[in-house]
Amino acid sequence: MRAETLKGHLDGILLAVLEPGPRHGYAIMEALRERSNGQVDLPTGTIYPALHRLERAGLIHATWSAAAGRRRRVYELTPAGRAALDTERSTWHEFSAAVTALLQPARLAASPS
Amino acid sequence: MTEPAAVERYLTEVTTRLPGSARVRSGIVAELRAGLLDATDAHRSAGLPPSAAAVAAVREFGDPGLVADGFRAEIAAGLARRVSIAVLVTGPLVGLLWIATAAASHLGSRLEWASLPAALQASLALTSLAIGVTACGALFGIAVTGRLSRWVLVRPCQAPTAAAVAGFGAIGADALGLALLAAGLASIPGRLSPVPAAAAAAASIVRILLARRAARHCLAARASLT
Repeated sequence: MRAETLKGHLDGILLAVLEPGPRHGYAIMEALRERSNGQVDLPTGTIYPALHRLERAGLIHATWSAAAGRRRRVYELTPAGRAALDTERSTWHEFSAAVTALLQPARLAASPS
Repeated sequence: MTEPAAVERYLTEVTTRLPGSARVRSGIVAELRAGLLDATDAHRSAGLPPSAAAVAAVREFGDPGLVADGFRAEIAAGLARRVSIAVLVTGPLVGLLWIATAAASHLGSRLEWASLPAALQASLALTSLAIGVTACGALFGIAVTGRLSRWVLVRPCQAPTAAAVAGFGAIGADALGLALLAAGLASIPGRLSPVPAAAAAAASIVRILLARRAARHCLAARASLT
């Protein structure tokens, strides 16, 4: 799935990946691939500016942590981020239900007897 | 352990495309480096030799120009926010010094306002306008770069533009304050209270110099987005 296809939904996807707990940038990318069964495979570098944007919007919080001699920026959801994820989920369910209904093959109207 | 050459080349390609202070850029590069080394480790675990793993990690991260584009917008937003907050916080402080000068000098009565030359009245009106422009620019700059950015959707170039407007507005307001002081010294010598007047003038001069620098940086950040 290409970046253009995900446009408009990347924020919600990143928030959803962070819902179970804090993760650093590359772990977020790995979780994206794993949870989408490899369908979502963005250029990894592009998720970092998106994470910074979400942090600026107060939806996630970042802290530096060091493990195995490597410093990583670890992100976690804020309460505002959880609320935004809930909103994103319900918006998506409404949207996908509407589009699914629209994309169904049209049933032929019963011909009048 | 020496970092793979492919990783370092990639980081250099991103860094050379980034504006902003060394501190901001070094934070971004440190984060990307950790991610690239994590990706290299993952490819090595999958069986690739070290140099091939680094090349695969770099390929996985994508076009460095695209990554730098994303960060340029973030750097511009961060700068716009800092400048807008600084302008909004320092404005009332400098303004209070000018009000203290007027109060200590017993200026501001109706009679004196009516007796002021038209040029001075126009300067005061222009100062109010400059303060209004500054406040609007700064408030907009803060709104679109913080938590409200979820609801107030704007193009990335608009935040640094608003911050630059706030910076230039502050320069205008302070310059007019200094012009009024000069006019006061010429028209009513000896009336102005020297200590608050000197403090207000010094504060305005410092603010003009800092706002000029900040507004230029905002315009440069804006230009980097186009």
